Amino acid sequence: MMLALSVGALVAGAAYLMLDRTFLRVIIGFVLFGHAVNLLLFSSGGILRRTEPLGSGPDPAVTADALPQAFVLTAIVIAFAITVYMLVLAVTGRADEDAPAAGSDEDAAPDAADEDAPSGTDDRAGMDDRAGTDDRSGAARRTTDEESRA
Amino acid sequence: MTLMMLLAAAATLAALAPAVARSWGGRAGWFVAAALTLLTAVLVTLRPTGGALTESVAWIPAADISLRLQLDGLSFLFALVVLGVGALVMLYSAAYVKEKAPGFYLLMAFFAFAMLALVLADDIVVMFVAWELTTLCSYLLILRSSPDAAAPAGRTLLVTAGGGLALLGAVTALVVRTGTTELTAVLNDPVWREDPLFAGIVAALVALAAMTKSAQFPFHAWLPDAMVAPAPVSAYLHAAAMVKAGIYLLMRFSEAASATWVWPTILVTVGLGTAIMGAVFALQRTDLKELFAYSTVSQLGLLVAVIGVGTPEALTAAALHVVAHALFKSSGFMYVGLVEKRAGTRDIRELHGLARAMPWTSAMAVLGVAGMAGLPPLLGFASKELVLDAMAHSPAGTAVGLGIALAATAASVGTVAYSARVVVRTLPGQPMELKPARGTVSMAVAVGATAVAGAVGGLLVGLLDPVVLPAAADATGTAVGELYPLSLWHGVNLALLLSAVAVGGGAIAVWQRVRVDAALDRRLFPFTGVAAVTRAQSATIAAGRRVGDLTRTDHPSSHLAVPLVVIAGGGLLAAALTTGEWGLGGGAPVADVGLTVLIVVGVVAAVASRTRLGAVIAAGIVGFTVALWFYSLGAADVALTQLLVEILTVVVMVLVLRRLPATFRRRGAGGRLRGGIVAVAAGAVATVGTLALTGDRALSSAGEFFLRLAEDETGGTNVVNTILVDFRALDTLGELVVLGIAALAMTALLTARTPVGGTPDAAPPGPLSDPALNTVFLRSLARPLVPLMLLGSLYALLRGHNAPGGGFIAALLGASALALLYLAAVSDRAAPLRLPYLAITGVGILVAVGSGVLGLADGSFLRPLHADLLGVHLTTALVFDLGVYLAVFGVILAAVNLLGMPPLDDPPRSRDRAGAPTAPRPTTAASASVPAEDDHSATEEAPR
Repeated sequence: MMLALSVGALVAGAAYLMLDRTFLRVIIGFVLFGHAVNLLLFSSGGILRRTEPLGSGPDPAVTADALPQAFVLTAIVIAFAITVYMLVLAVTGRADEDAPAAGSDEDAAPDAADEDAPSGTDDRAGMDDRAGTDDRSGAARRTTDEESRA
Repeated sequence: MTLMMLLAAAATLAALAPAVARSWGGRAGWFVAAALTLLTAVLVTLRPTGGALTESVAWIPAADISLRLQLDGLSFLFALVVLGVGALVMLYSAAYVKEKAPGFYLLMAFFAFAMLALVLADDIVVMFVAWELTTLCSYLLILRSSPDAAAPAGRTLLVTAGGGLALLGAVTALVVRTGTTELTAVLNDPVWREDPLFAGIVAALVALAAMTKSAQFPFHAWLPDAMVAPAPVSAYLHAAAMVKAGIYLLMRFSEAASATWVWPTILVTVGLGTAIMGAVFALQRTDLKELFAYSTVSQLGLLVAVIGVGTPEALTAAALHVVAHALFKSSGFMYVGLVEKRAGTRDIRELHGLARAMPWTSAMAVLGVAGMAGLPPLLGFASKELVLDAMAHSPAGTAVGLGIALAATAASVGTVAYSARVVVRTLPGQPMELKPARGTVSMAVAVGATAVAGAVGGLLVGLLDPVVLPAAADATGTAVGELYPLSLWHGVNLALLLSAVAVGGGAIAVWQRVRVDAALDRRLFPFTGVAAVTRAQSATIAAGRRVGDLTRTDHPSSHLAVPLVVIAGGGLLAAALTTGEWGLGGGAPVADVGLTVLIVVGVVAAVASRTRLGAVIAAGIVGFTVALWFYSLGAADVALTQLLVEILTVVVMVLVLRRLPATFRRRGAGGRLRGGIVAVAAGAVATVGTLALTGDRALSSAGEFFLRLAEDETGGTNVVNTILVDFRALDTLGELVVLGIAALAMTALLTARTPVGGTPDAAPPGPLSDPALNTVFLRSLARPLVPLMLLGSLYALLRGHNAPGGGFIAALLGASALALLYLAAVSDRAAPLRLPYLAITGVGILVAVGSGVLGLADGSFLRPLHADLLGVHLTTALVFDLGVYLAVFGVILAAVNLLGMPPLDDPPRSRDRAGAPTAPRPTTAASASVPAEDDHSATEEAPR
């Protein structure tokens, strides 16, 4: 019962965060979702038997199912790798508030679909995790762009 | 020589043809023609005197699909047409195609092979494959004819491949229903009589497929459209062979499908309608080639209609007319090609005096066209007599039969009229200037040969008995002896009368041709067939775009809302359907309540937090609580893993936070409300689903197997670890590869995309603002702790098989040590993790694969080997675990290093990229292995 409630709380939080448009919140939502799924996997093995599957001759009557544990163990590491990958996505590319630089040779794709976005909950489409990026970096980047064109 | 060898020879010819064309140029046509003639001779020798020759080679035994071939009367007739006309057309091509055209000869020869496979196939799946191959050959041959041919070729493909889908539907239904793919067995299955609905649907699908292939209304538009192809292609594919594939299919299915009322109804109405329509359109055209194309449409309509009649006489007529039409129509198309070559045009308004300009060819053309008009004593006359006679004696009754025959006569009036039009508009008059005949002799020979064959076939029509009668017999399931032998003269009967009416009507139409032309010089339909196809095509694309618009947004919630709702609905449904006890977890220990409360608190904090740092901390609380949950559930390994991952996640997230603004943008009230509703619903469904579907389960048999046998099978007592590195090592190997790809992808992303900037490192002034002072504690702590942690990591790796530990945990521990070192560094630039992380990950995967290969010594990839050395139990599973260790270690190093780059107030990568204008750009390939090192050193040298 308590495990199911934990799963429910994690899923609810994950769903709420993943529906946000701030990328870091989506990532945290993803992490919470991973926790929920891992607990669910445990639950599928039964949670009444809770003795560690260690040592010689474990008693199947009281020992926890080792198979979901193995699944979850690898799932945790994979989820970590994906989380890091998403974090890399969050901190690369172009900050949304930059004017689309003419002749910019990169990252046109992530923003290209903006115009197709339906009127959502916010007035701007796209992830705004870089929204607060101060102008200096944008200016600096534009300078480098110009340099590279020169 | 067997059928199989015949087919293989045809395929070999297709493979050889391009090479020959490359070295011989245009003369390759002679080679292919000779080869096809040889194959025709072989085919004739293979033909058994009675019955059918069958062969079979297993192809896909699992689905009972075999390369079954059958040579019966029907197959023989069509194979003869395919190979014989093919040989003549290739002879013609030798003069028509002057340049080196390996593609042309390849496709033509391959088409001959595909047609041969189609008519010989006794396996319904093989037949379908061959059917599609002919479609593709036609498409490619039209496509390569000229740069403007792409659109007509595309339309042709769309229509004929659409019909192919109908055939696929019929084939699938038949195979599923009858349980066999053998064509003969499928056609003799009782289902055709016993289930009228099923039989009707399949018959309609087969008819649909044949209608597209044989250009019947409303699918006729592709055939005139395809006339952009060169003359040999038109003569072979679009007159003699490919369009006859539909006719073959109809004749093959005739006996079985005639049992349904759908079959004759569709075929007779569509066929007659197409016959009349095609004839009228042919009268309208001034382009000779288009005229012949519509004539083909019309003649095919006649064939379809007479097959629909379904009697043995009707099928005899159809078989004979197939031969007659293949001869006179290929003759016609080749003649048009010759005229175009020499006169430079094929418009009958510009052509004149051809009779005197090229008397020999013109005579042959007249012979061919007269056959088309059905004038005695040519083969076209004999076959049309039979057609009209069979229609008049339709089993549907005298009145219906007479109606059908009269409609066919109406079409024949048109046929005579447009045939005469070809002659009277182009032959008389002042001879026109022609290009010299040099090099076109073989073309003229091919035109003449087909025309003369039509004449001889008419006079000595009895010679065709052994070819035509068995075909009709096989198509209707009667014995050859029950069929009337062919003859040119049947005495004065209804058919002769109708023929006379047709010729007379045609003559009147020619006499009054000015009025006929005036009457027809307008649009007969509000739109053309080509326009209809184009419109259907663009409408389909527009509809697809509209469907795509539903999801064309980068707004994550629109993408996520759908799966969330669907999964929630599915979960509720499954919970409702679940019977039996709901798992409530028995008497929940008090600790569980505490853990759940902690999780709820953490989740609420993560959701409510207005700052990024706060959200990350809240997520950390949740993560650590989940680790405790795992521990409480009896999973020490998993709990350890979760704990270490949580630490590293927080480290990496903090590295990222430096580049992001401190607070979140606020969500609108509506968005919060909607998100809240979805969240609560999803959470409720997840809880109910968990309770309903899992919970109090007994130990599964798989789980019990691992618990009981892990130690005996592997020598390890940590069951979880034995599953990871022994029982399911292949899964783990796959996961390592995923990790390696993640590391690569991170590196690639950071190489290709500019990192965004962030707030500079400057801390507010105070006692901790100097990083050197600030990190004193951490540095002092790290000095003794890091070596200890690395040692511990090694220990965890070694004991993993028997106690909590193993590659994953050990690697996380080791990486944590390095992360500690990283955090303790005074600045990013002094961060000391200069290890080739990609190489480490790669070596890890290689080590794991290598240990798997060792397992091959014991008969299976990844099977661990065991050995006892000096009383210590050793196993290659440990080597595998070392691979796991290295792969995981490398990925975490990559994450820390890549995300730990200095914020962009001093962007090393951008500066690298821009560089000094004169300095050579540092090679990214070299920096890929150790980019951190390159970056940092580059930054240090860069002027500030």
